[in-house]
Amino acid sequence: MTADNPLLPHPAVILDIIDENPHIKTFVVAFRDEMFNRRFTYEPGQFMMVSIPHRGEAPISISSTPTRPGTVHLSVRRAGKLTGAMFGLEKGAVIGLRGPYGRPFPIDLIGRDLLFVAGGIGLAPLRSMINFSLDQGGGHGKKIILYGSRSPGEIAFAHDIAAWRKRQGVCCRLTVDEAGPGWDGAVGVVTELLDGIEVAADNCVALVCGPAVMIRFTLAKLVRMGFAPANIWTTLERHMKCGVGTCGHCHMDGRLICKEGPVYNLAEPGGEAALDKG
Amino acid sequence: MSFILQKDHLNSFARKLMKTARLVAPVRNRYGDTLLTEVDDPYAVAIDLDSQAQESAKPFLFPQLQTLFTYGKDDYLFSEVNEARPTVFLGLRSCDVAAILYMDVIFLKDRKDPYYKKRRENTVLISLGCNDPFENCFCLAAKSGPFLEFGFDLQLTDLGDRFYVETGRAKGDLIVDEWRQFFRPAGEEDDKARYQATLEARGRFKRQVLVDVAVRNLEAGLVPDTVWRRLSSRCQDCGGCAYICPTCTCYNLVDAAVPGGGGERRRVWDACTFAGFTMMAGGHNPVDMERERVKRRFQHKLLHDVRRHGRPSCVGCGRCVGMCFGGVDIVKFIEMATREEGI
Repeated sequence: MTADNPLLPHPAVILDIIDENPHIKTFVVAFRDEMFNRRFTYEPGQFMMVSIPHRGEAPISISSTPTRPGTVHLSVRRAGKLTGAMFGLEKGAVIGLRGPYGRPFPIDLIGRDLLFVAGGIGLAPLRSMINFSLDQGGGHGKKIILYGSRSPGEIAFAHDIAAWRKRQGVCCRLTVDEAGPGWDGAVGVVTELLDGIEVAADNCVALVCGPAVMIRFTLAKLVRMGFAPANIWTTLERHMKCGVGTCGHCHMDGRLICKEGPVYNLAEPGGEAALDKG
Repeated sequence: MSFILQKDHLNSFARKLMKTARLVAPVRNRYGDTLLTEVDDPYAVAIDLDSQAQESAKPFLFPQLQTLFTYGKDDYLFSEVNEARPTVFLGLRSCDVAAILYMDVIFLKDRKDPYYKKRRENTVLISLGCNDPFENCFCLAAKSGPFLEFGFDLQLTDLGDRFYVETGRAKGDLIVDEWRQFFRPAGEEDDKARYQATLEARGRFKRQVLVDVAVRNLEAGLVPDTVWRRLSSRCQDCGGCAYICPTCTCYNLVDAAVPGGGGERRRVWDACTFAGFTMMAGGHNPVDMERERVKRRFQHKLLHDVRRHGRPSCVGCGRCVGMCFGGVDIVKFIEMATREEGI
């Protein structure tokens, strides 16, 4: 295998498709070239460029963890041309994959108390980091997972949530914007869940991912709760075409999100200004 | 080392260069336009070293439309398509060479772009300094001309009946060695004449464009929102500035089915002034195009690239001045951003 062309997609087979909710599917894929597949690795927070015949490419977060090698999970919300086409694919279909790209979440975080705050499909990259930190074994700090969905029917990653709730040292709370029949959990925005948790802000790192508005309110609240900006991590979403820092599409205030992001620390230069723009 | 090439010998020299490479030079066509053109016979066309070519060398190194891969009908396997012919550019102006040095940074510095790399490695640059800058030129202010200190293989200076020839990179020395019969060492008189020409050229600019002041004002946050808003409202979203710009390198990747099955992945030029440039799947656009359509482009050239690469990426060729029918070219921006009184 040569890797001298960073724009070259490699064929990958869809081994399984998990319906997470009516709008989100997780595609379990593996590179067709087994040697390449065994060698392939990545870090939580990174993304892949996914190709579908005649439909082009789009950046998709990796939702699996490198601690469970062999397959890559790509969790996709149906949003545009490429993701729409992905929803028409079945098991056995071949897609093109290149990557991984982007700056990951810092792995040295996993020894500390971790607070994950996610909204909607934003749980996908955090799922990678959550499972990664859980797979690193016991003895680490506690993990708090707060997850907001529009409705009970839209709660994605139900299998993971069930598994997290069984783990010691993990606190996982859900909320929905609108309750439905049979829902006896919290109703409201995800920031309200922050009120009910026990967390020492000076000994905890927050990782936030979701819609722009949700990120903005969550970051503001975390700062009010006493979190230092250096202990707040989030991800930024931008249109991307190349993933390697040349096409210019993800340019934001002088930074290229595909390389300097998508993971961002709030204390980084211009971090707060960047986040204002959603 | 410096040499002299008699102007009478230019075409014969060009013919020699064509033995091993295609020759690209500014050629005046029958409509009166001077364009960088592949020359089959230097005696049969009008090589025009007196005008500014309407386009830079960008399309030759980074084509407007380029097929990067093909993929099969039955098998979704990508095959790289990457061909480059050895090319000698003759008569490229200093700004356009500077623009290539910028593209080198973008496409070769970090993750190497194999397409640009292959074309660039097959390139010889014979530049021509500008004794008499053109109407919209401001390369002096952009520090990319009118004469170069590096970046060329050979740099020519027009001394009337002859060219003063400087060798830059190793390829230039090889050319002089190989075609020694065309060159004689430059003498003291030649050196003086060359010095005089470069000195006079500096005083012949018709525009005063305060690039450094604009950079400083951007750095200091002294450019008010009203500037961006006024310029953005006059942008017609045509992309002409970006296409004509020798340092605008943003691109899109698109797939197209081809007759008979399978398809191609193509790279096409893009422009950050286009409404769809930043639009994400689902239609959300994080950039307010009404107010900020041109902001990123000018900030990129004059602020972000200064921070990232140590100098502005506008080379002062002035082409966007002639291109923009909304009058919101970079010179207009620099004028507005450097005006002392309020805007």
